[in-house]
Amino acid sequence: MSELRFSDVSVRYGNRRRGMTAVDGVSLTVPDGAVVGLVGESGSGKSTLARAAVGLTPLSGGEILLDDRPLRHTAGPRPVQMVFQDPYSSLDPRMTIGDSIAEAVPRGTRSADRRTEVARLLELVELDPSRSVAYPGQLSGGQRQRVALARALAARPEVIIADEITSALDVSIQGTVLNLVRRLQAELGTSMLFISHNLAVVRYVASEIAVMYLGRIVEHGPTAEVLADPQHPYTRDLLAAVPDSTPGRPAAVAADPALAAVAAAEPADPHAPPPGCRYHPRCPIGPLVHADREICRTTEPGTDHRHAAACHFAPAGRSLLTIAD
Amino acid sequence: MTTAPMTSSPLVATAEPVRRSAARGRWLSVLRTPVGAGAGLLLALVLLLAVFAPLLWRDDADTIDTESVLQGASGQHWVGTDNLGRDLLFRVLVATRLSIGLALVATLIAVVVGLVLGTAPLLLGRRGGRLVTAGVNIAVAFPGLLLALFFAVVFGVGMTGAVLAIGFAGAPSFARLTQTLAAGIADRDFVAAARIAGVGRTRLLLRHVLPNIGEPLVVNATIGAGGALLSFAGLSFLGLGVQAPSYDWGRLLQDGLSGIYIHPEAALAPGVAIVVAGLAFNLFGEAVAKGIGLTTTLSGTATTASRRRETVPAEVVDDGRPVTDPGLVQGRPVLDVQDLSVAFQGPDGPVRPVRGVSFRIGRGEAVGVVGESGSGKSLTALAIARLVERPGEVTAERLEFMGTDVLSGTDRTHRRLLGTAFAMVFQDPMTSFNPTRRIGRQLAEVAEQHQGMSRKIALARAVDRLRAVRVPAAERRAHQYPHEFSGGMRQRAMIGMGLMGEPKLIVADEPTTALDVTVQRQVLDLLASVRAADDVALLLISHDVAVVGQVCDRVLVMYAGRVVEDLPAAELTTGARHPYTRALVATVPDMHIDLDRPLPVIPGRPVDPAHQPPGCAYAPRCPLASARCVEEDPALVDDGSGRRVACWHAGEIAADLEVPGAAPVALISGERA
Repeated sequence: MSELRFSDVSVRYGNRRRGMTAVDGVSLTVPDGAVVGLVGESGSGKSTLARAAVGLTPLSGGEILLDDRPLRHTAGPRPVQMVFQDPYSSLDPRMTIGDSIAEAVPRGTRSADRRTEVARLLELVELDPSRSVAYPGQLSGGQRQRVALARALAARPEVIIADEITSALDVSIQGTVLNLVRRLQAELGTSMLFISHNLAVVRYVASEIAVMYLGRIVEHGPTAEVLADPQHPYTRDLLAAVPDSTPGRPAAVAADPALAAVAAAEPADPHAPPPGCRYHPRCPIGPLVHADREICRTTEPGTDHRHAAACHFAPAGRSLLTIAD
Repeated sequence: MTTAPMTSSPLVATAEPVRRSAARGRWLSVLRTPVGAGAGLLLALVLLLAVFAPLLWRDDADTIDTESVLQGASGQHWVGTDNLGRDLLFRVLVATRLSIGLALVATLIAVVVGLVLGTAPLLLGRRGGRLVTAGVNIAVAFPGLLLALFFAVVFGVGMTGAVLAIGFAGAPSFARLTQTLAAGIADRDFVAAARIAGVGRTRLLLRHVLPNIGEPLVVNATIGAGGALLSFAGLSFLGLGVQAPSYDWGRLLQDGLSGIYIHPEAALAPGVAIVVAGLAFNLFGEAVAKGIGLTTTLSGTATTASRRRETVPAEVVDDGRPVTDPGLVQGRPVLDVQDLSVAFQGPDGPVRPVRGVSFRIGRGEAVGVVGESGSGKSLTALAIARLVERPGEVTAERLEFMGTDVLSGTDRTHRRLLGTAFAMVFQDPMTSFNPTRRIGRQLAEVAEQHQGMSRKIALARAVDRLRAVRVPAAERRAHQYPHEFSGGMRQRAMIGMGLMGEPKLIVADEPTTALDVTVQRQVLDLLASVRAADDVALLLISHDVAVVGQVCDRVLVMYAGRVVEDLPAAELTTGARHPYTRALVATVPDMHIDLDRPLPVIPGRPVDPAHQPPGCAYAPRCPLASARCVEEDPALVDDGSGRRVACWHAGEIAADLEVPGAAPVALISGERA
């Protein structure tokens, strides 16, 4: 049993006058043995949430619970491990990959056992154990990312956080890492928070999907349902933006000037989040397009919709609530 | 260049010795440079003197000879004698030990104290660390001489006080350097990963931080020793350092100075000794810094950056280079490239990351270039824009833009043509603008330079162009600085800069890779509408087949520096005939991919440009490869309809559309070592 729960977590950087709230009251549960995909654009706070979960960033509010016990970051391997985005900077260039992995093996293990454990882990991530004496500089990006995974597994974690682990890799290599993640997850049953900006990747790996915008979760539900029937306009926007290899897509610039303005809107500045619904300056169903929807500017939407969508005008709205339950 | 990257499967077992010797090789290569060799020799000489001079000549130096007091240079006393008739040459030589020794002790104090203070913030945690940092910051500003005088008061005038003074005076700057370097390393992901893995602070410092900052610290300590030597001579000269009867160079200098008009040798000899020894330390430090300091820490980044400049076996160079058909285009092409190559001089002969690329772009046509990293696609774009810097060498049978040969001819005519009719958009919009100048001015500069517009008209045009690329509130934003623009807006401004002239061709190198998906779509739409509005041709370089397929009419697929297929974008998913193109298309995860099957991958890894195989470069990763593929490189041939492909087995297994081009074996363990 290992369930990771974020309960009303807030992370603030900087001081009171000139700071920013990167994560603002996020509640999210990664159920035991499940993979939850977290999507959102840069600046939405997904990486901050990840760093908070492994104790690299202190919380300014709320708490993170592992199996209903507050997570403590004491000495020794932490029960929540993380795999970083850039495999070129996440491995010490001066250390053999074997040493890097061995370092994460819980202390008190005899050195012979440590070595067999390293070999086992390399084997597990489909690398030749004889490469444990290699330095990261001798490995390709994909291989480095496997080493990073092996290191995370070495600490025998209960939850793994994967922060954009494929976005620094070539598309042709990306698949090998994703296949590995799926296989390991199926074999070991580790719970996982899988962060990515690529919906297609998340769809492939995660059973649940949570969408983050400007420090808040705006929609959360089973992957298939969220992707098939997105409730929040931001989720729909993300989905529409996924490039499809089918050519000849009609130009998205709509004839309606209001819609065009929305389509060309800039992402909001996390240092100065807009009042009311944070998505309203970019929302195609918000006050910019529908003049009567002033409520979006003034009032924060609740999340009592399908997929907990934080939108006043989630299309299916309350009428579908019964089906959702 | 750091460790042997990317090429190492046979090196597996010997990895460690290889690396060790690489480190040793780096030090040796420092000694091989003229400056390094000279400085090394000088330093060795000085150190040898420091050890042996007192053993050999102490008696000579201390022999008092009242017969010959304060003499000038003579055959017997080469630089004369002092007021007790002691030979000054021997005294200078013997003084080497004390001078060097004191300088080294002072440096040691500076390094040790500096290291302790510099690494303390890491060990103490946030609050304590901040306190130490603040303390060091104040100490850095404190003048060293004042400190020396202070210690002279505390310890009395003499050696101890001087050594401590110089040591402590040097410590803050060393601490500061250590702090900065350590903070840079501590921010890196591998340190965070180690912390998550439960590695304690001390161990973190010893195993991860110090090894990665060691080399620059050693270099600085060496230079610091030179500085300490000079300071010590200075203190002794002022009478604050070594006291009689001991003597060092500074002391000798002071003694000699009184008679400088009578026999200047007495002051010159210790002066020369100080200069030589100081130079030896400083030059050696500089030489080492140049040789290793810059390449020390980060094999990761260095590897990617230098990958294309790796070595090549010389015999491959002009082998099997097929002359390729540039393809058909209606009317006069905007860009006509034939047999374009880019070569870099590697240590073992030229490396050619782009090899014989040929294509044409028609008016208003959008052509995409796709390939994995290292395929030479970006370098091709740079070569077209004439942005490949020395030592890179661009050759081509033909490289014509708007009918003008841009390969030969003067730079000025190119600049004018490229400046007005050609636009380039780079991947990282942050680095392509000057951060200290307003966006509007940077755009206006283009028109002032190339179209001779006045400042005011140019700025008005800049605002107009910003509006054209749909930058909201263009008037106001033209007066903003690049950092006030979001990534997507900067990319728009970059496109707007290209539109300042009347571009006939926009070359966009991964313009959306650094952007979020929603913004990516906006930028792609903008490129499409600019193209439609002004009939501008577009060369879009991307690793993302989906992006290229969406925007372009035609796609060039590059592998190992060569175009392997040229096909209409509409046929990417259905009509690709090269197994690499099919594999590339298949590996892009889209929203319809089968969740119950593993993702298709391309097994193996891209070819190192330094080690191009004689046959088809894709053969080692290709499920269709036969003996012929390994031996003979297929030429890029036109099938008559404008589609070109370079493959001996073009179009085979076209029926297997489910996982095109990727053999089932390859599905799971793609690049298993």
